[in-house]
Amino acid sequence: MLTDFISKLQRKPVPAFTVALYIVCVVFMAWIRLGILENSLVTIGYGLPLLICLWYPDRRLLWSLMGTYALMAVYKVFIVTPPAFQSAPFLIWGMQMVNMLVIGFAVHIAVDLLTSLRRKKNELEETNRELVDRREEILRQNEELQSQAEELAQQNEEIQQQSEEVQQQAEELQVQAEELQITTTESGKRQAILQVLLDSLKSDDTRDLPERICHMLMSLLGDCASAAVILEKDGADLVVLAQAGPMGLPTRRWAFDRSFAAVVMGHDRTAYVSDLRLRPDLEGAQTTERMFRSVIATPLKIAGKTAGVVKVYSDHQHEWTKEQFQIIEWMSKQCSLLMDSRRLQTELQLANVDLDRIVKTRTEELQELVNELEHFSYTITHDLRAPLRAMHGFAGLLAEECMDSLNEQSREYLNRITTAASRMDRLITDALSYSKVVRHEMPKEPVDVVRLLRGMVDSYPIFQEPKARIEIADDLPAVMGNEAGLTQCFSNLLGNAVKFVSPGKIPHVRITGERHGDMVRFWCEDNGIGIPKELQARVFVMFQRLSKDYEGTGIGLALVKKVVERMGGSVGLESEPGKGTRFWIELKAADSK
Amino acid sequence: MMTTESRVLYVEDEEDDVFFMRNAFKKLGVHDRFHSVEDGGRAISYLAGEEPYADRTRHPLPTFVLLDLNLPIRSGFEVLEWLRGQPQFQQLPVVIFSSSGRLEDRQRAEKLGATEYLLKPTSGSQFLDMARQLSETWLAQKNL
Repeated sequence: MLTDFISKLQRKPVPAFTVALYIVCVVFMAWIRLGILENSLVTIGYGLPLLICLWYPDRRLLWSLMGTYALMAVYKVFIVTPPAFQSAPFLIWGMQMVNMLVIGFAVHIAVDLLTSLRRKKNELEETNRELVDRREEILRQNEELQSQAEELAQQNEEIQQQSEEVQQQAEELQVQAEELQITTTESGKRQAILQVLLDSLKSDDTRDLPERICHMLMSLLGDCASAAVILEKDGADLVVLAQAGPMGLPTRRWAFDRSFAAVVMGHDRTAYVSDLRLRPDLEGAQTTERMFRSVIATPLKIAGKTAGVVKVYSDHQHEWTKEQFQIIEWMSKQCSLLMDSRRLQTELQLANVDLDRIVKTRTEELQELVNELEHFSYTITHDLRAPLRAMHGFAGLLAEECMDSLNEQSREYLNRITTAASRMDRLITDALSYSKVVRHEMPKEPVDVVRLLRGMVDSYPIFQEPKARIEIADDLPAVMGNEAGLTQCFSNLLGNAVKFVSPGKIPHVRITGERHGDMVRFWCEDNGIGIPKELQARVFVMFQRLSKDYEGTGIGLALVKKVVERMGGSVGLESEPGKGTRFWIELKAADSK
Repeated sequence: MMTTESRVLYVEDEEDDVFFMRNAFKKLGVHDRFHSVEDGGRAISYLAGEEPYADRTRHPLPTFVLLDLNLPIRSGFEVLEWLRGQPQFQQLPVVIFSSSGRLEDRQRAEKLGATEYLLKPTSGSQFLDMARQLSETWLAQKNL
């Protein structure tokens, strides 16, 4: 308690106001005590300033005042009051001291209490304010929450509504999914069946196909089907093509008339009898030992014509559903398709075998014919040559040995015989070359055309100066071709170029080449007589001779065309009469792909 | 001696060709060394010395054979094959003289052992050049 007390005293620094208040209090007290009261009513003089201490809570003021009172009490007891009046001055002073201390402590405690009360009040007020603030805050939040809650409620309602819709849709979807599931299962089943049927199409065994269809039909229809059968009309009878079920039909054939199949085929649509006991008129319905109660049947078309029925029996009286109608009709269609395609396949195979045989026979015949023709043409040309040689030879001998006895005209005739024989020989040679080109293989390899042409010019004096001037470009690209074939082409082109010139003119031929992508085009340009536009189309035709003034067989250019085509190329020309002709040959370049 | 002299046997069915060849040899002045037969069968008989060619004075053995391919009875190929099958004729020069330019004929003749393959000329009058060339190659040797 003492330390608490001291600690409370040691508040620093002493505010000026406290000092001033102290001075005021002491002065006031002194004034009351000494001026106004003059030693009477001592307690009032002490008490009033103490009231200030209750108002002003600085305890240093209190205890300063107390100290002053103590001094004043000393002063009063021992100095002012004559000792005569005092029997025991110490006792009085002591009493006064005790009195003061009690009052001082009382005030001190009161001040403490007041202070603490004030503090608590302040705290309470603070708390109260906070609480008020918080309350307002809460109120505001509350309002917001309220509005949010309203919105939420609204949304909730909407969601509720949507949820209901979704629920509804989900239910619908569920229903659809279930339907789909059923359809999928169904179609899966059908697909599997189709696959099996298609596979069976590939196999060679045709007999069990309708049998399989019956089994599949039963598996598709499930418990409703007790037996399935495929019937075909054969004349006045119905024949069992195939069947499936626990019991076989006792007969394979019965009368068509008055049968249920007849009804179905007559109307060409699917029909059923829900209870066979009500239709004793139908023949063939009770053909098994086991009594079927109900039957459904659909027409079966073979090659586009209704040729039979697909039938399913049930052990029980049964109203057949739309789905079951669809299934049996679908199966019947598959059956028709398969049987038709099977039939066509077989026919096709037979036709193919026939065709193969025919082609083979024909090919053999043709080959034989070709061989015969080849032999024939060889023999003909060979045998033709002998008399030709003789004609030519004897004409020569005649001219040589009997020159003196021959007149001008005889010599002219002799000359004509020789010319005719020579032409005939060339004709035979060219015809032989042509047929060789047509018949023989022409393997292709890269050919250096410059070397080939130079070799040709070097070997024949007719291609050399002064008989002719032949220029060959140095940069002719190599081509893919057959060397022998190309030699034939160029010898014919050059031969023509030097032959078909106006009399007295020296032939001038230029051979150039140009590249067009993968192709190479050679140009053979001459200064010859040229070819009129209307005749240009005919120059490459066999035995077409455009001029009677020049010697020729009419085979040369036909041969060129044939050879070039056989090497995968093409030929053509540009020409103007009187100015010359430009022939071209186009072939694949040697470095092409 | 007659046997040391070189002679040619021309096997040819075309009378005109025989005429031109004989004529050519005549012009070269060696027609007495020229003998001919008109088919493959006779050619074999001649070379084998059978009748009617047994008389070697009139039908002496040739020092080379000029052989056409397209012949009656036995073809030129058969004659060639027979010749190469006889030990005494294995080295006998055989010049094929044919109008066939077919590659397969040429190859077959070479395979059977022909010494040379000549293409018949276009004209009978060109036989003289051929005869000159032949006699220079095959007849002159034996005269040395």
